[in-house]
Amino acid sequence: MAWAALVAGVVAAFFAGVMLLHRSLYVSAVSLLVVLLQTAVLFLLCGSPLLGLLQVMIYAGAVMVLVVVTIMAAGDEGGRFADFSFPKPLAWLGVLAAVGETALILSHAAAPAAVQVDPALQAQLGAVLFKPYALATEAVTLLMFLAALAIAPEPETAA
Amino acid sequence: MINLTAVVWGTTGALFAFGLAIVVLRRQLLAMLLGLELMLAAVNVSLVHHAGIFNDAEALAVVALVIAVAAAEAVVGLALILRLRRAGSGADAALLTELQG
Amino acid sequence: MTAAQVPLAAWLLFAAPVAAVLLGFFVFRRLKPEWTHLPILASCMVVTASAFSLAADVYTGHSFDLNLFRWAAAGNFAVDFGLRIDGPGTAVLAMVALVGSLIHLYAAGYMKGDPGFSRFFLVFHLFFLAMIGLLTANNFVQLYLFWELVGVCSYLLVGFWFQKESARKAALKAFITNRIGDFGLLLALLLIVMQFKVTHFHLIYLKLASGATFELLPLIGLCLVWAACAKSAQFPLYFWLPDAMEGPTPTSALMHAATMVTAGVFLLVRSWPMIFAVEGLPNLIAWIGGLTALIAAIIAGTKKDLKRILAYSTVSHLGLMMLALGLNQIGAALFHLIVHGFFKAALFLCAGNIAHALHQPTANVDDVGGLQKSMRLTYLAFGLAAVSLAGIFPFGGFFSKDAILDAAWHHGGPLAIIGMLVAAGSAFYIFRMLFLAFYGARPEQKGAPHAHEAEPILAVPVLFLALGAALAGLLKGPIERFVVVGMRGLPSGLPQLDVVLNLPGEPTLPHLNLLVAGVGTVMALLGAAAAWRLTMADPGFDWRWRGGAAEAMFESDFGWKTVIDKLASAVSRGAGFTGRVLDKGGLDGLVEGTSGLTRAAGAVIARSAQGRVNDYLWWMVAGTALLLGRVLR
Repeated sequence: MAWAALVAGVVAAFFAGVMLLHRSLYVSAVSLLVVLLQTAVLFLLCGSPLLGLLQVMIYAGAVMVLVVVTIMAAGDEGGRFADFSFPKPLAWLGVLAAVGETALILSHAAAPAAVQVDPALQAQLGAVLFKPYALATEAVTLLMFLAALAIAPEPETAA
Repeated sequence: MINLTAVVWGTTGALFAFGLAIVVLRRQLLAMLLGLELMLAAVNVSLVHHAGIFNDAEALAVVALVIAVAAAEAVVGLALILRLRRAGSGADAALLTELQG
Repeated sequence: MTAAQVPLAAWLLFAAPVAAVLLGFFVFRRLKPEWTHLPILASCMVVTASAFSLAADVYTGHSFDLNLFRWAAAGNFAVDFGLRIDGPGTAVLAMVALVGSLIHLYAAGYMKGDPGFSRFFLVFHLFFLAMIGLLTANNFVQLYLFWELVGVCSYLLVGFWFQKESARKAALKAFITNRIGDFGLLLALLLIVMQFKVTHFHLIYLKLASGATFELLPLIGLCLVWAACAKSAQFPLYFWLPDAMEGPTPTSALMHAATMVTAGVFLLVRSWPMIFAVEGLPNLIAWIGGLTALIAAIIAGTKKDLKRILAYSTVSHLGLMMLALGLNQIGAALFHLIVHGFFKAALFLCAGNIAHALHQPTANVDDVGGLQKSMRLTYLAFGLAAVSLAGIFPFGGFFSKDAILDAAWHHGGPLAIIGMLVAAGSAFYIFRMLFLAFYGARPEQKGAPHAHEAEPILAVPVLFLALGAALAGLLKGPIERFVVVGMRGLPSGLPQLDVVLNLPGEPTLPHLNLLVAGVGTVMALLGAAAAWRLTMADPGFDWRWRGGAAEAMFESDFGWKTVIDKLASAVSRGAGFTGRVLDKGGLDGLVEGTSGLTRAAGAVIARSAQGRVNDYLWWMVAGTALLLGRVLR
């Protein structure tokens, strides 16, 4: 299964390069999305399907969507890429990778792992989060709550 | 046989480097934000792999927390950038020079 | 000898002038300025009496050298205030006291009505006090103190009429030139301290007599000669004296004829054992003196201002004194010093009388002419002093000048010729002045129709001085005795020393050599005849070499004044450069530049703080990489 990891890694790196070099902000955002999906696959292949799932759900699914939508909403200032177009070849590459990886995953009965990982490891995640790292967990929760305040609107200035 | 550790290190390194480059080199603040996320993701990859290798669940916990914090940070960053946009100075790092001198 | 045994005269010598100055300053100047001269004239009488009393003491063998109190001490070295009453000192002191008192009296009449009357007398008397201190000092430090004080008083008196720019400049020139010489004296003083560890005269004489070699002695000698040249207006530092004539006539008479300028000669007399021990230094002094005497005599014959002629004449006679010293004739030098004091003071006061009669501060030969009839007394006094100066038998100057010429003749060589030429030159300029001022008015002279004889207060002192000049020949014997006592016997104030110290230098005066006397008189008469020929014989002949190179040459003292001007401007340019560029630009610039440097450095560093986020990020990356590198190593 290591070749699958290699593929995922290469694709991720490639799209990271695209992120760096492409001038369009929208393209960069979508490339990041692809990169995150690849890292999710990598998580899976490294023996942690839960985190892979979490990555896809939270990171790729929520955060990146938020970013991309914000970019699309805020618009590229005076940019040539206001049309939010994504280069076709890259799109094909991304789709291809996604499809391949999906096929790989579905072809296995259980989550495919490239290394032998103790199955109890995942289960311990929860225990760790709420026992030794309980404080950190609560703090991060609070942090996320406070972050939500960031989108609170500005108080109206008195006229 | 392809060594998974090598692949993971390679990926991590590449992603981190690219992320850093994006943050330092690009002028748009949003791009910098994306670079930050990229760096965090890279680190996550390495953490997950080594959690499996060393059978350390705490590393996985850290990954979870990092994902959460990164998400929160992205939200706050976006909010700030939008504030900047509305304030009129735009989201161009080169133009934000109030710290000059 | 203890302090209790010091004769009253010695105390009075100082107490009287100090009391007079204090009284004059604090009481009379406030209440009745026009009476300031009264306590001062009283003090003059006391001082003269004391001076003669002390001279009589020394004459009978009771000279002394005593430390009165310790001024400052540092470890082994101490500076004392003391009195040295010995032959040379009292001889000159007596002359200074007498001539000084007469000039004080003259000044009371001359300066009447001047708004600075009170100030004049106070400074004048302070100078008198300083001169007394200089003559009775018993160590070099004390001498230096009074030397400086004399210089200060000179500055104050030359610039007395400070409203005139020429007076201010002349005062500054005098002071600065003297300062340059004083630097030499200070250097000599410090070297003496280094070499001998003491500054007292008799202790130094003892050390020198012990026969040890002293390495610094040539340098000390040169510095002393330098100081004497500045104070006694020898070449090359003579040029301040003619300009110092800007001061009132009493100043010129006292300071720049009789006393202050002789301080340089006196310094050399006091230091003679040191100078004599240096090879070739006496010869140098003789040549400086001889050349200065000749050049000054020639220049004096070309000047038009009465006082300036006399100033150059003073320079010339100081040169003669230096010549005498250089030929190891201490006695002759002192003799001429004393006689010169009389006749030069008389001549200056006559010039003052003439100027006073014309209601001017000074007189030109163009303004006068034919005063013989209108100013008889002045004419008489001037005539007496003039023949004394020219060295014609039997008047005083003959004896003193003859002594010097005799010494020069015996020495032989060019100095003898110079001596004779100086004799001729002196006669020439003084008789020229006599003829032009007193005999029939020449066409270009105004003739001073309103001139009248001076009032008694002005005339009497002049007559006395002229008489003194005429009769000074009688002093030859006493002076010899004074000098012998000073140089052949230790002052009796040091009982612990039995040995009689024979100081180097010839104290006895040369006997009358008929050949030298004859040649000298012939040269003088030649000079007088030349003066007659040039001025009176043919009234139509214009002696002034009007215009052109000759006049320019004479005006600038044969070009030396131009040299000095260029030197002075070079020095001031150098000083300006040092001040403006080196000090202001360099040092100040260095100090102020640190602020500029800091600002520039700040500007450079500020470029890293432009506020651009990307720059900060680069720095972050670099710093983190560095840290990581250290940590991971």
